[in-house]
Amino acid sequence: MRTFIALSILICIATMASVTHAQEVVVHPTVLQEQISRNTLRAIFSKRLQNWPEGTAITVFVLGDRSPLHIAFCKQILNVFPYQLRRAWDRLVYSGTGQSPLEVNTEEDMRKRIANTPGAIGYLPTIGQDDELKVLPVQ
Amino acid sequence: MTNLKCCPFNKSFEINKFFLVAFILVLGISSTARAGGISLPDTLQIHGFASQGYIHTSDNNFYGSSQNGSFDFTELGLNASFRPFSVLQFSAQLLSRRAGRGDEGDIRLDYGLVDYRFYSNEAMRAGIRIGRIKNPFGLYNDTRDVAFTRPSILLPQSIYFDRARNPALSSEGVHLYGDRQFDFGDLSLQIGAGYPMVEDIETERAFLINDQAGHLDGKLSYIGRIVFEQDGGRIRLGLSGAWVKMDYAPGTADPVGAGTINFNPLIFSAQYNAESWSLTSEYALRRIEIKNLGAIPDREQTGESVYFQGTYRITPILEALVRYDILYQDRGDRNGDNFALQTGLPGHLLYAKDWTVGLRWDIMEALMFRIEYHSVDGTAWLPLLDNTGLPSSERYWGLFSILLSYRF
Repeated sequence: MRTFIALSILICIATMASVTHAQEVVVHPTVLQEQISRNTLRAIFSKRLQNWPEGTAITVFVLGDRSPLHIAFCKQILNVFPYQLRRAWDRLVYSGTGQSPLEVNTEEDMRKRIANTPGAIGYLPTIGQDDELKVLPVQ
Repeated sequence: MTNLKCCPFNKSFEINKFFLVAFILVLGISSTARAGGISLPDTLQIHGFASQGYIHTSDNNFYGSSQNGSFDFTELGLNASFRPFSVLQFSAQLLSRRAGRGDEGDIRLDYGLVDYRFYSNEAMRAGIRIGRIKNPFGLYNDTRDVAFTRPSILLPQSIYFDRARNPALSSEGVHLYGDRQFDFGDLSLQIGAGYPMVEDIETERAFLINDQAGHLDGKLSYIGRIVFEQDGGRIRLGLSGAWVKMDYAPGTADPVGAGTINFNPLIFSAQYNAESWSLTSEYALRRIEIKNLGAIPDREQTGESVYFQGTYRITPILEALVRYDILYQDRGDRNGDNFALQTGLPGHLLYAKDWTVGLRWDIMEALMFRIEYHSVDGTAWLPLLDNTGLPSSERYWGLFSILLSYRF
C-alpha cells in the first residue's frame, strides 16, 4: 500500500511537471528584437500583426490545437485559451481577411521551419545552446 | 462584377458536379501537401469545408420537406488566399449551399477581395479592402456558412435568419479597417460602403410580400462594426450597424410602383469566454421603411431580436449548448394581435421563441459531429419558399437536426 501511495505521488509530481514544463518563444536569428511584450505576442499569434518593426514579414508556426505544448503556450505565455485563437484564425481564413498560422506536426519540424524561415516565430520547450534559433524573452 | 448566382437552374446542376469534382481534387492535393507531398509557398493558403445536415421537423418545413426528414442541407466551400507581401492579400471563396427551396446549390462567389494594409506598427494597424466583402455584422455573420465557426447547427435565427439571407452575406464595395491595442484592451473597427445583393426572390418576398413583376436594385449602402476585446478575447463587446437602401424597378403593367426600401439593422453583441464555458448574448433592432411602392402601402416597422446562449465544454472535444432566442417582426405588435385583426392571419407569423439544446463532438481537429433540438413557439423565421401555405403553419413545433462537417 505504501509503495502504491509513493508511486501515486511520484506520478502526480511527474504529471504536474510535464504540464507546467517551460516553453520559450523562439524566432529566426535575423529578427532584431531582443524581447517582446505579451500584448505584441498576442497580436502576432492571433495574426493581427504581420510585420517585425524592421519590416520583415512575420511567419507564425504553431503545433496542432490538441498538442500539450500548444495548449501550455496559449494558457501560460499568451494567457488565452486555444479555442479562442482557433476562432480568431477561422474568422480570418473563412472571411478572406487574413491567413492562419502554419501548422507543423512535431517540435522538431517547428525547430527546422523556424531556423529556415527569416522572420519566423514559434515556441519550443526550453532549448539549450542553438545557433540556428533565437530565444525571445517575454516581458 | 458578375453575380454567379444568376446561372439558370438546369445548368447549375452540371456546374455543381464540376464544383464537387474540383472540391475533391483540391481536398486531395491539400492533404497531400500537408503530408509533405507537394509544397505550397508559405504565402499561399487553400482551405475549405464540407457539411451535410439532416433536419426533421414535427410541423412546418425548414430546409426542404423536413416533416418527413430532409437531407436538403449541404454546405461546400473552397477558398484561396495569397499574400505576396505582408501588407497585401488577395482572397476568394466559392460557396455552394443547398438549403431547401431558398438555396439550391448554385455556386457563388462568397467573397473576392484585395486587402492592402497601409499602416502597421506594434500597437496599431489600418488598411483597405476592395471587392466583394463579407458583411461585418454581429459575432457570426462573417463566417455564417462555415459550420465549425457556428455555436450550433442553425445560428440563432432571430438575428441570423435564413429568410432573406442574401443581403446579409456580402456586398461589393470598399471597406476601411483598423485595430489598436490599449492598456485596457483591443479595439477594432471596420466600416464600408457598397452595393448589397438583393435581387433574389426570397429577399423580394420578404420585403414585398410576393415575387413581384419587377425587381429590387441594391443602392449604395453603408455598414460598420466596432469590437472591443479585453484580455485576449475573454470579454468581447460589439456594436454593428447597417444602412441598406434598395429601389424597386417595376416590371411591365406592374401595380407596384418605383419606390424605395430602407433597412437599418443594429446589433449589440456581448460574450464572456472562460476556459470551460462561454456566455453569449446579442440584441438587435431592425427598422424597415417602405415608401412610394404604389400597390404596397407605405410602412415603417421595427423588428426586435435577442438571444442568450451558454456553452459548456464538458471535455476538450465535447461541448454542450443551451440557448433561448426570441424574434419579434414588429416590436409595436409583438404578439401579432393587431396584425391578426387587420389581416385575419394568425399572429404567430410575427414572432418566434426558440429554446435550443445541442451537443458538439470534435471527433478530430478537422471533423465535427453535431446534434440539436429546437422547441419553437411561433413561425416568424420559417423559410418562405419551403412553406407555401405559411398562414396555415403550426404555432408550436419542434426541429431536430444532426450535422457532420469536415474542414481543411
